[in-house]
Amino acid sequence: MRLFGLFMVIFIMWIMIMIVSYFLVFIIGPLHISLFNNTTDRLISSIVKATLAIGLVVVLILLLGNLKTKYLQKTLQRN
Amino acid sequence: MVSTINIVFYGIFVSALSFLIIYFITPAFIKFLNKKGKVVKDYHKPGMPNVPRPAGPVLLIGIVISEILLYFLILDVKIISVLLTTIIAFIIGYIDDLKTMPGWFKPTTLILAAVPIVILGSHGNYLGLIFDNAFIPILYIPLILSLIPIVGNTINSIDVFNGVATGFVIITMIPLLVSVIVFGNNNVLLMALPLLFGSIALYQYHKFPSKIFLGDSGTLLLGSMYASLLIAGNSEIIGVIALLPAVMNSFLFLSSVKKIVEHREIKTRPVTICSDFRLKASKDNSAPATLVRLILAKGPLTEREIITRIFILATFSSILAFISIAIQYLFMMGKISL
Repeated sequence: MRLFGLFMVIFIMWIMIMIVSYFLVFIIGPLHISLFNNTTDRLISSIVKATLAIGLVVVLILLLGNLKTKYLQKTLQRN
Repeated sequence: MVSTINIVFYGIFVSALSFLIIYFITPAFIKFLNKKGKVVKDYHKPGMPNVPRPAGPVLLIGIVISEILLYFLILDVKIISVLLTTIIAFIIGYIDDLKTMPGWFKPTTLILAAVPIVILGSHGNYLGLIFDNAFIPILYIPLILSLIPIVGNTINSIDVFNGVATGFVIITMIPLLVSVIVFGNNNVLLMALPLLFGSIALYQYHKFPSKIFLGDSGTLLLGSMYASLLIAGNSEIIGVIALLPAVMNSFLFLSSVKKIVEHREIKTRPVTICSDFRLKASKDNSAPATLVRLILAKGPLTEREIITRIFILATFSSILAFISIAIQYLFMMGKISL
């Protein structure tokens, strides 16, 4: 199966997207920070959420880079 | 709100119009390009035949006429924004077809193509994240400004063999259309049909062995319109999943060359041509990693065999996109929860 490895890479990429979506919806989404007990809290919460979301996407890209490096080493150098 | 009967009627009308215009104009345009000497060599075939390029203008004519007529039928401003994005992307690609531009040109100038979507407000404030929607009114703007260049260049970078870009767009349009029906609205579905049927018409001439090449104008038009439909149809994540093989190709290329460059600027080619015109993966460690190089890692293949394998990967990612649509639908309806 020539394409099996690529199927697996695409599948893992899909799983990673699903995990990131899960974290964004169920972990980062409901976060609420109460510091001043006024409207400023909402702004702070949004900034923290946005920062965490962007950070999570950066982590996803780094993980994909890692996956790519491992797959390339396994496939190209062995053949 | 367009009634169901009108959706069917308008859908058939714009699909047929886009298909017929492109299908019947392309042969004359091929003759025109040949006469003007606007041809490039197809290096993957014996004798390296000349193939006319670009097909972008034909694709643009078919899609623009269909979308303008659709606008007069349903009067939705989203059509104008998608059309403007498509036209700007086409112009950027056409400049690159006429004059070889540096690697940064397409990704940076394609940000301009995203502006009509932002200005005309064709995007929502919610991003569909499979398990729920996220309300991100401010973050959505940079997302749009980056999605159009990314998808445009992604389709551009996968167009390495006969018929791949058009075939890839046709396959990955199917989950997009289903997602637009389920999560978007019927107007966006109607807007997407000229792209699908225009691509099917052009595929008849672009498929192996190609009678015409798309050029950058054609690939950027396809990619940017696809991306603008993802945004207008609230289907960003589903579209990215469907495009995973192409996304992977761009990601592999960028992370191995470490900078934005044109393929023609690469000194070490990722694949080489055997004496029997089969292609094999480069053994050179400095050669960029690409999807095709990975497909060829286990041995040489003919061009046709590589094209088939790219389409199989596109079908696989489209199946994953369908599974994602089903999961998102079940969560949306409250049938499952975590």
